[in-house]
Amino acid sequence: MKPFRADLHIHTLLSPCGSLEMSPREIIARAKGRGLDMIAVADHNSTYHCELTVTLGIEAGITVLRAAEVTSAEDVHSLVILPDEASVISFQDWLDRHCTHMPHNPDIFGDQVVIDRDENIIREINYFLPAALNATIDEVEEAAHNHGGLFIPAHIDRPAMGIIGQLGFIPDDLFVDAVEVVGMAGDLLYPVIRNSDAHMPEHIGRRFTDYMLENPSFSELAKALRSEGGRHIIQHGR
Amino acid sequence: MKVTDIVEKIGLKVFSGHEGLGKEVTGGYASDLLSDVMGHAGSGAVWITIQTHRNVMAIASLRDLSAVIITCGENPGDDTMAQSNEEGLPVLGTDLSTFELAGRLYSLIG
Repeated sequence: MKPFRADLHIHTLLSPCGSLEMSPREIIARAKGRGLDMIAVADHNSTYHCELTVTLGIEAGITVLRAAEVTSAEDVHSLVILPDEASVISFQDWLDRHCTHMPHNPDIFGDQVVIDRDENIIREINYFLPAALNATIDEVEEAAHNHGGLFIPAHIDRPAMGIIGQLGFIPDDLFVDAVEVVGMAGDLLYPVIRNSDAHMPEHIGRRFTDYMLENPSFSELAKALRSEGGRHIIQHGR
Repeated sequence: MKVTDIVEKIGLKVFSGHEGLGKEVTGGYASDLLSDVMGHAGSGAVWITIQTHRNVMAIASLRDLSAVIITCGENPGDDTMAQSNEEGLPVLGTDLSTFELAGRLYSLIG
């Protein structure tokens, strides 16, 4: 077992707030350059760039996990990290069923495009991706776990769009695998991770977490969050 | 003015917490950020929000609020209503928006 460095919250250019430079290829190159062993792509309420980034990651020798940053009805953002391609397809279907299809204005919020490996635009999403789903935070948690995923409330220490800001505190019956913080965490009841929430290339790896793992993978990460079999969170860094 | 007077004058729906309809209303607070309400709502205030999560009840009770009014025709969850009944802290509802309801409420008690 040895330490692996991970940044598990990176937006691609699909997110309206994501810079157009954030192509899967650029993300992989930057992540390698920053010495990351594992990343996760997490676009707002969508998973359309997961497979391409995973493929490019394999070619470049860096682990890419599939994820989405889901907005629940309370305007709480949570990372849902999924185990494999099949779970992504089925989770995307769940997202589609709970989407509110709010109209999108690219001039104000930015473009929402899906690209292929040659960086050609293959699809444009015409509804506002980050809008709250018609699913409560409990339903998001349930869906994440039903798909074998990890449920991680995002940037909980931000004044808004995090679970503490929106809901005052974390309900004790919500099954939380970890929480993501932006600042440095004090004493929390949950495993704490830090990620960049990168929207532009230079932000990749600006915050990260080191994990003690057998190898950088979804199943090892899940074990580390549960402190199972010697796996654990080592430290947070910037 | 009591919670029941507001219910009658504005025509609000009573979802739960009927026992608390006699509570005295001393003011109002409108916010959908629960952390904000936790820090700023005054005791005895009615709280206007579109949030329906059960944490609403915990915070209403923590701040000793007189009632919660959910706007825009949203419905509280079963667990929210159960806690409201348990604590005798009414959860009310209206189809009005927060803006319209706050205006009416302000002219009644402001």
